[in-house]
Amino acid sequence: MKWLVLLPAVALAVAVPWLVDDYTTATLSRLLVLGLVGVSVALLTGVTGLPTLGQTAPFAAGAYAAAQVGLHEVGGPPVQLLAAAGVGAAFALLTAALVVYARGVVVLMITLAIGELAITVASRWKAATGGTDGLIATAAFDSDRARYLYALAVVGVVVTLVLLALRSPAGLLLRASRDDEARMRASGHPVTAYLAGAYVAAGAIAGAGGALLVTTQQYVSPADFSFDTAALLLLGVVIGGAGSMLGAVAGTALVFAARDWLSGLLPGHAPLLLGALFVLTAYLLPRGVAGFDWRRIGRRDRAASPRAVRRANQEA
Amino acid sequence: MRIHKMTAALIALGLAATGATACADESGGAGGTLKVGLLASLSGTYQAIGTDIRDGFQLYLDMHGGKLGGHPVELVVADEGDGAPTAVPAATKLVKQDRVVALTGVVGGGSAAAIQPVIGPAKIPFIGSNGRPELKDVSHVWHTSYLSQETGAAIAQYVKDNVKGKVYAIGPDYQGGWDQLKGFTDAFARAGGELANADGKTLFTPFPATKNFTPYFAQIKASGAAAVYTFYAGAAAIDFVKQYAQSEVKDLPLYAAGFLTEGGVLNAQGDAARNVYSVLNYSPDLDNAQNREFVAAWKADHDGPPTTYAMASFDAAAVLDKAIGAAGDNPTAETINEAIAGLGQIESPRGAWQFSKKTHSPVQKWYLRQVRQDGRALSNTVVGDLATVGE
Amino acid sequence: MDPYLIPALDGVAYGLLLFVVAAGLVLSFGVAGILNLAHGTLYAIGAYVAAWLADGGWAAVPLALVAGVAGATAAGTALAGLLTPVKRGDHLTQALLTFGLALAGGSLLVSAFGPEDLPVRVPAALDRPIDLAGHSYAAYRLVFIVVAAVIAVGLYLALTRTRAGMLVRAAVDDPQMVACLGVNPTRVRVGVLAVSGALAGLAGVLGAPIIGPGPSTAATVLLLSLVVVVLGGLNSVVGTLVAALAVGEIQTLGVALLPTAAPFLLYAAMALILAARARGLLRRWSTA
Repeated sequence: MKWLVLLPAVALAVAVPWLVDDYTTATLSRLLVLGLVGVSVALLTGVTGLPTLGQTAPFAAGAYAAAQVGLHEVGGPPVQLLAAAGVGAAFALLTAALVVYARGVVVLMITLAIGELAITVASRWKAATGGTDGLIATAAFDSDRARYLYALAVVGVVVTLVLLALRSPAGLLLRASRDDEARMRASGHPVTAYLAGAYVAAGAIAGAGGALLVTTQQYVSPADFSFDTAALLLLGVVIGGAGSMLGAVAGTALVFAARDWLSGLLPGHAPLLLGALFVLTAYLLPRGVAGFDWRRIGRRDRAASPRAVRRANQEA
Repeated sequence: MRIHKMTAALIALGLAATGATACADESGGAGGTLKVGLLASLSGTYQAIGTDIRDGFQLYLDMHGGKLGGHPVELVVADEGDGAPTAVPAATKLVKQDRVVALTGVVGGGSAAAIQPVIGPAKIPFIGSNGRPELKDVSHVWHTSYLSQETGAAIAQYVKDNVKGKVYAIGPDYQGGWDQLKGFTDAFARAGGELANADGKTLFTPFPATKNFTPYFAQIKASGAAAVYTFYAGAAAIDFVKQYAQSEVKDLPLYAAGFLTEGGVLNAQGDAARNVYSVLNYSPDLDNAQNREFVAAWKADHDGPPTTYAMASFDAAAVLDKAIGAAGDNPTAETINEAIAGLGQIESPRGAWQFSKKTHSPVQKWYLRQVRQDGRALSNTVVGDLATVGE
Repeated sequence: MDPYLIPALDGVAYGLLLFVVAAGLVLSFGVAGILNLAHGTLYAIGAYVAAWLADGGWAAVPLALVAGVAGATAAGTALAGLLTPVKRGDHLTQALLTFGLALAGGSLLVSAFGPEDLPVRVPAALDRPIDLAGHSYAAYRLVFIVVAAVIAVGLYLALTRTRAGMLVRAAVDDPQMVACLGVNPTRVRVGVLAVSGALAGLAGVLGAPIIGPGPSTAATVLLLSLVVVVLGGLNSVVGTLVAALAVGEIQTLGVALLPTAAPFLLYAAMALILAARARGLLRRWSTA
């Protein structure tokens, strides 16, 4: 049954650049990139229970790595993608010890600090990043259509991999750790190691997003990874339903599309209208687009989900 | 007989020319209206500068019947926001949906760099009116503002001649700040001046995070400097000047790039800005016909005098006016760009200037200004000419 | 030591300003369980009112104080009303709602007062440098230190010596128990957000000559006060005071001592302290 829905949806996504103008195609490419970073935010915020404002940091690390790989003619987009994912994962590995022991609002602030420190480094390390004026990257594709199809393929593959991983025992262990950490620890599970694993995976995904940013935008600067981007990513994921990966892509795409579209419609009034949109969403969709029960996140007394824990114990 | 033939030919030619113009006008009325895109910060931190840029261009259009080079112009305005992430989608819309024939404005250097991959393949001329990044290919990029290094370079000799002792250089830690201060310190060193900074390097403050300059003033005091040179703009300029006036270094003469006291910033600084010396390519009290007309028209619907930002955007419209006029009957992005390259001197409120063949930014005169009382308000008063800079 | 005297003193002024703002934020988080991302906007309301009313005379000072505090209190109360449907502790929905309100509110403030950073005129007697052990220091900031210290002491006494204050502390420790005592949680939330708004407005009026009103004021103040509140342990007024002074000193004395590290100091210190505390390497502040 699922294939009946999925196949036409995929076909439509592939056909889109032949149905719309270049402007819409370029816009959709940008939204796919941010949607992919949104997936990494959702993986941490929703599934792992580590709400984050810091995924802009591996996003940036990946983007600069990809840009340098391109500028030094080491390889084309696929090589850049792998390099960026690797650098994003390595960045996460280095910072994991700061993040995985904390919970709730404290994680938000630690990751915020990591994001701010990352863009400070990016702004000052002019040799690698071009400084605050940014870096114009080499053009890998010569049409909006090609850029879109490449981004669509990468995002499709990564999201599928994430969905498969979350259905495996690994996904179950993560959710169980989120829902009842004490019980998981008591059953002998190395919860901190699970969280670190998820954090590194999310770093790789955000890094891959960085490579896509470079390919689609052909430009990268510290402003792409500012606090504004981090906040909109988190809010997009909240709107999308935090625990849902497709919801994360849709939510972040919605937020950034709204910002850019509203800004084109009424130049200068985008913040007002975007603010109103957030307020409305908070009232109309209090559970997010995907309806995931994310109200437990950030609460200190975590609601126990005995079934998940029991199942996790059986599987492990 | 022969003369009659000549006259007849001339008349015929004249009629043909008028006919052509009439045709152009007709097509202009229907499909021939030219779309020009203006991208500027209309929300966020740089909204004040962005609004000046929009209003400066609009003022030129209003003063010329809504036409540039004889063609009716539809100005499509888009919001640059705080920088590249919002500037890119807005520029994409202007180029790929509105299909503008030229693009102007852009407050931030980062935004100007970010939109290059969007406008480059479309071969649209970009007439920037403020931030100018470092670019490899400027074949379609023109700026009516300045290169960041030029501001400080223009005042360095004057500072060397008028300060008895070492000068402390301080500025914001981003590309604009680095370029502005480097322009000064390089030219100052060439003029034989010496910096008071520890190890001779400019002190850069985190930007835009720095709200409190007190610790830096303590360092300036400790360095034994005889004067200070700086560049800040916007909110940081207000904080710097207000805190400077009540700090330990309040008695040291303050020299600056003109943006430190430009526009609404000066109003917020109030008395703290009195006597600050600055260097800029414009001041509203310049005595020339273009400027008198520009300032009078500006003041008709604005509270304060025009800023250099508004003037540069006004000039961007003037550049397009001349270039479109010279680009033939059916101006395209490509012919307009060629026409800009062929422009000579441009009469401007700042005085006459022309594009450098190499950098595509103005070869222009810089002025020394001082903040003085002008009626009830403080204003930047021109006290002398400095160097003409540009190559 | 001498060149660091003024930065150290200024760190106290800056820290106390952050404390008065952050005290409001820690109350709404600790007592009402509300993550209020519109708190910086409440400060901006106070600062804009100060810029609007202050004309350099003494009479305008109480006027601006009353109007600014009233405006921010009203906005805080309205916020409590808007947050009614959102559950206590549901921080992400609160973040979505209050961030939206902050974006829209900031935009409205700019339409009302213009895109420029506004001048704030303080009485002439305070608008000058004064001599302090051979150094110059802004008179206004010196007076501000005294006033803010009085506010801090007053707040501490109100929390420890009054019935309402004890209720507030009890609510931090055990919200269910306080609800059992028959205290209406809605009234607690409205009351706490009104007080929180009042503190932000008070900080905005008094702090306007230090962090002035402009398009980026709300974001600056929000970010710094979030840093202070989280460093202070999220539910402690004393912890918030210590954190505020530490952040103030990091940004002045720290910058004077280590100018090259200036851009990294604040966030590096925060990340390390929070991570160390999360691993149990540092003890948390007790509630007070």
